[in-house]
Amino acid sequence: MASTQDIKRGVVILWKNDPHLVVEFEHIMPGKGSAFVRTKLKNLKSGKVLENTFKVGEKVDLVDLEKRRVQYLYASGDKFAFMDNTNYEQFEVGVEVLAGFEKYLRESLEVILLFSDGTPITCEFPKKVSYKVTEAEPGVKGDTASGRVTKEVTMETGLKIRAPLFIKEGDMVIVNTETGEYAERA
Amino acid sequence: MFKNWQLLKDDPAKKEKFFQRAKIVSLIRDFFVQEDFLEVETPSLVRLPGMEPYLDPVKTELVIGGKAEGGYLVTSPEYAMKKLLAAGFPKIFQICKSFRGGEEAGRLHNPEFTILEWYRAGADYRNIMEDVENMFRHIAGRFGNGSSKIVYQGREIDFSPPWPKITVREAFQNYAKIDLDTALDRDSLFAAAAAKGYKISPKEKFDDVFFKIFLNEIEPCLNQAKPVIVYDWPAGLAALSRKKAEDPRYAERFEVYAGGLELGNAFSELTDPEEQKERLLEEREQRVKSGKNVYGIDEDFIAALSSGMPASGGIAMGVDRIVMLFTDSKNIGEIQFFPAKDIF
Repeated sequence: MASTQDIKRGVVILWKNDPHLVVEFEHIMPGKGSAFVRTKLKNLKSGKVLENTFKVGEKVDLVDLEKRRVQYLYASGDKFAFMDNTNYEQFEVGVEVLAGFEKYLRESLEVILLFSDGTPITCEFPKKVSYKVTEAEPGVKGDTASGRVTKEVTMETGLKIRAPLFIKEGDMVIVNTETGEYAERA
Repeated sequence: MFKNWQLLKDDPAKKEKFFQRAKIVSLIRDFFVQEDFLEVETPSLVRLPGMEPYLDPVKTELVIGGKAEGGYLVTSPEYAMKKLLAAGFPKIFQICKSFRGGEEAGRLHNPEFTILEWYRAGADYRNIMEDVENMFRHIAGRFGNGSSKIVYQGREIDFSPPWPKITVREAFQNYAKIDLDTALDRDSLFAAAAAKGYKISPKEKFDDVFFKIFLNEIEPCLNQAKPVIVYDWPAGLAALSRKKAEDPRYAERFEVYAGGLELGNAFSELTDPEEQKERLLEEREQRVKSGKNVYGIDEDFIAALSSGMPASGGIAMGVDRIVMLFTDSKNIGEIQFFPAKDIF
């Protein structure tokens, strides 16, 4: 049996007999009390979102989901299409499955979709994704002297991040998809 | 990965929050000076830190006469400030750093944080409630556009006094449908919680189940149009506060909530040295059982009470959380230059 230490975004737990996806969680210490984890849970059967606060160390039941490695194809409207390269099966998933990671998608990126009873529920997104920089203002003399450290750069997908001054158009950079921040030059 | 200070360099909006932070701290100071409080400074480094059973004081070491001596960083300046009450300083306040090693850095916590404490002799927790309301009126009236209303994370909060006040007993009755009067011992609280469908392990303590109910059913109802004061806590949850004369099952403690944030914790201070020592010993026992750092009771604190500490009210508030409210910051890291995640 798992405990609250295993609770993180994207995990599915059995709660009041229904599978619930952990949508959000945060640690809290009530005034002079022990530690708790406050979560937002989405009931995978009814779609209802509820909050529950667990005591740290409390036992929870994790639900095993079927994992499939898929490749991103395209977006159409608010649906995103992926393909399983082992059998060429295609899936369309809604934005809620990507849970904020949709802005980090780029063509042919591989992600893991997690299925419950044949329905994609959530995804495991790679922590680091590389992109080609398509727009970056050229470095200006005096930038460093004036104390600037970062500038805005735009990726091939339209994603904008802050990157160090030396990054230029055509560079490949790696972005941390958990924080949305620049990680390194590829 | 950029550090916060690097991101600040190129982002005027992020920078602005630190000007606002400084303004809020100076308004807090103004308020207490205007109210004739003395600003005091007490040690961060002590030999015997607070005994709260759930806190982890940060252990350190210093060298005295060539010999290593154990020390701790304070989890709050409370003991020292009460010694000053006993020493004859009737109205004192302090804004200082406190340290809680076990508090995981996150949206609401940072192991090193800024605390505001004030104490009034010849007063009790009701006077402190008024101080809190007046302090927020003072800050709001001189911050931004001077309105008593702010917006925090999309919800309006009006700081104009008086604020709604609810006893813990009423809160359990209204929001959790539990009659706390009949659930003040471990077994009856467990039964009440189990009847509501809580899964409870026999290893859990009264406090654990109490907070499970409080956090799940009560705290979410405290995010209201005005800040809310929740008062009269079960005596077992208030080791440093005076029990109510008319009902000693409860103690004169209150907490303040605004915008879903717990802002502070106040007491009518316990001044009886024997009762205080007994409660500290009980808490020490709890620390032993739960495997926390264990150290002696600060006998100097007990001596101060014995020398005649006046009846007093006092409170500890999180300055970072007050700043979060006024700057509409979701994360504590937005209003600290060097959040722990940039350091450790």
